[in-house]
Amino acid sequence: MSYEVMVGNKATAVGCKLARIKVAAVFPITPQTTITEYLSEIHASGELPGFEFINAEGELSSQVIVQAAEAVGARSFTCTSGPGLLYMHHPMQETASKRLPLVMAVVHRGVKSMQPDHSDLMSQQWQGWLHIYVENAQEILDTTVMAYKIAEDKRIRLPVAVGYDGYVLSYTAEPVEIPAQEDVDAFLPPYKPMPSILPDQVDPKTFGAGWGEGDPMKPWQMHHEAALNGETVIKEVFAEWGKKFGRTYGNGMIEPYRVEGADCVITAMGTIAGTAMAAIDRLWTDGKKVGLVKIRSFLPFPRKDFQEIAKGVGAIGVFDRSCQPGMWGPVYHQMRSTLYDEEKKTPVIGFIGGLSGKEVRVEDMMKIGEKTLKVAEGGKPEAPIQWV
Amino acid sequence: MHGRGGQGAVTASRIIATAAYEEGKYSQAIPMYGTERRGAPLTAYVRIDKVRVRERELVHNPNYSLCFDPLIGLQQAVANDLKPGGKVLLNAPYAPEKSELAGDIEIATVDATSIALETLGRPITNTALLGAFSKATGVVSLESIEKAIKKYFPGRLGDMNIAAVRKSYEKVSPWVPAKNKVAPKIQVDLNVGGYGTLKDVSSWRVFYPEVNEEKCIGCKSCWIFCPEAALEWKANNKPAMIDRACKGCGVCANECPVKAIEMKRVAGA
Repeated sequence: MSYEVMVGNKATAVGCKLARIKVAAVFPITPQTTITEYLSEIHASGELPGFEFINAEGELSSQVIVQAAEAVGARSFTCTSGPGLLYMHHPMQETASKRLPLVMAVVHRGVKSMQPDHSDLMSQQWQGWLHIYVENAQEILDTTVMAYKIAEDKRIRLPVAVGYDGYVLSYTAEPVEIPAQEDVDAFLPPYKPMPSILPDQVDPKTFGAGWGEGDPMKPWQMHHEAALNGETVIKEVFAEWGKKFGRTYGNGMIEPYRVEGADCVITAMGTIAGTAMAAIDRLWTDGKKVGLVKIRSFLPFPRKDFQEIAKGVGAIGVFDRSCQPGMWGPVYHQMRSTLYDEEKKTPVIGFIGGLSGKEVRVEDMMKIGEKTLKVAEGGKPEAPIQWV
Repeated sequence: MHGRGGQGAVTASRIIATAAYEEGKYSQAIPMYGTERRGAPLTAYVRIDKVRVRERELVHNPNYSLCFDPLIGLQQAVANDLKPGGKVLLNAPYAPEKSELAGDIEIATVDATSIALETLGRPITNTALLGAFSKATGVVSLESIEKAIKKYFPGRLGDMNIAAVRKSYEKVSPWVPAKNKVAPKIQVDLNVGGYGTLKDVSSWRVFYPEVNEEKCIGCKSCWIFCPEAALEWKANNKPAMIDRACKGCGVCANECPVKAIEMKRVAGA
C-alpha cells in the first residue's frame, strides 16, 4: 500500500490501473479531461501491460468502442461529463441490453452550465445501468475497482456508472491510499467473458441480436431483475472490500452518519454528503438530533434500507442535486415511492439545490436539517419541495 | 490563495496539501476554476486537519490568505473575511508597513517575483512564496515543502524551485499589524471572469510591451498573434498597446522576428 495526494480524476485512473483494464476509449471533455490524460500517461509508460488506449472522435464512438471491447472479453473503461454523456445516450442502452459489464466514470457537469450538478447522470436513468455516486477521491479509487466486481457478477452483468462532482472533486487534491496490486488482484479476478446469458437467442455467439421465437418482454424482465440484484451484490462486494482493505462505505448502498438516536434524517449524494456531515456535527452540538444518510447507489435505489430507517425516524428530508422541470427531483420521487406501502407514514420533504454548480454550504445543510426536524416534531413544511 | 492563471497558485495549494500529509495531517486542496486563461485572477483553497476532511464548501473564512500577485495584493478583497487576527502573506516588493490592506489582520511580505526571476528566470511566483509561508506561519516545515516539491517537479526543475523556496524562507518579513482597520467602501471585484475583449484587464499586467519603432519592420506578426487583440495598428504602420486589453503575456515580444518589442516590468508589480 502507498499514499499520494491526488485529485479525484487521478484516483479514477489509478483505480482503472489497479483493475488492470485492457481497453480505454475516451473523448476529452471538461471536467473529465484529466482522466484521459492520466490514462494516456499510464499507457505511454508501459506500466500496464496489454493496455490499449484509444482516442475516440466523440462520445458516441468511445461508448461503442468499449462496448465491442467488452463483448470480446476485454475489461474496458470510458468516462465523460455532462453533454458528452448525453451524446452517448443511444449506445449506452446497447451496452446494457447486451449485458456488458463496462465501468464508466461520469464526472458531473450540469446541462445548463459547465459547473456540476447531477442532471447529466440522472437523465440516463432509463438506460439500464447501475448508478453509484461517490463523495471523495479515496471513494472514487475504491469504487472504481469494486464497480468491476459488481458489474461482472453473474447475477448482475450490467454496466456501472460511477458519478462524482466535477471541479470540486475532480480537480481537488486529497490524500489517497493506494492498495497493493497483489491485494487488488486477489479481490478482483481477471474478467472472463461469458457466453450469452440471454434466452432464446438465434445464435448464442451473437450479442444483441434477435430473440428468436421467445417472448420479447423476457429480456426486459431479466434486465430489471439483474438491476434489482444490485442491492444484494453491492452490499456483498463492499463488505468484502471492507474486510480486505479496512475501508467501508456504510453497507455500499447507503452510508449512514449519526443516524442512531436521531429524530429525523436528511439524505445527500456525492460531495454534498461530505459537507452535510459537517452540518450534522454542528446540529448535534446544538442539541438537534439530525442524522444523514448518504445515498451511494441511486440505481438500484436502497429501498430495503430506507424502509428500515423510516421506521425509526419522524421525517426524511431529501436533497436533490438535479431537477426534472415539471416533475421535481428524482431522489424525492424514489423515496416517496419506496415508503408508500409502509404501515408507518413517514413524512418526506424535498430540497433542490446545488444546480449548475451553485455552492452548497454547511449552513444550507443545517437549515435543511432544522426544517426536517420541525416536520418530525409535527410541524407542517413550508412547502413539500423547497429550493435551497 | 489568490493568484493569476500561470503563476502556479493551484500547484502551490497542492504542494501545501502534500506537505501537510507528509507530516501526518489530512488535507484538501480545492481550486476554483472559471473560464481560466493566463493572467486571469483565480483562487484556491486548502484545508488541513487531524482527521480526513469531508466538508467540501469553499473556505470562506480562512486563517491565512496568500497572494501570489503584487497587483492583486493591492486589492482589499484578499484581506476580507479572514478570521479575526488572520494573516495575509503578500508577494510584494515593499515592507508590510506600506500595505494599505485593512482589518484585524497581520501582514507579511516577500518579493517573490524577484526571487522567481532570479531562481527560475520566469515570474512564476508559487514556490517563491511557499518558503515564506513555511517560515512565517509554521503550518508546514521547509523540509516537507521541499519533499512535496520534488513530487511535483522532478529533476533540475525541482532543484530550481527548491532554491526559490529557500530564498523566500530567508527573505520574508516579520508579521506587522495592518495600519488600516476599516476597509474601503469601494472595492475592486477580483472576479473578472468570462471572455470578451471589452473587459478591462490592465490590472493583470506584471509586464507591458514597449515597441522600438526604429527596429520595427511593420510585419504585423505581433498583431496577428496577440491572443487578446490588444494591439492597435497606427497610421505609421507600427503597433501600439491598447491599455485596457493587454494582459502582459508577452506573446507579441516572443513572436517579433526583429526583437523590436521588449517586455518591461510594471512599476510596483
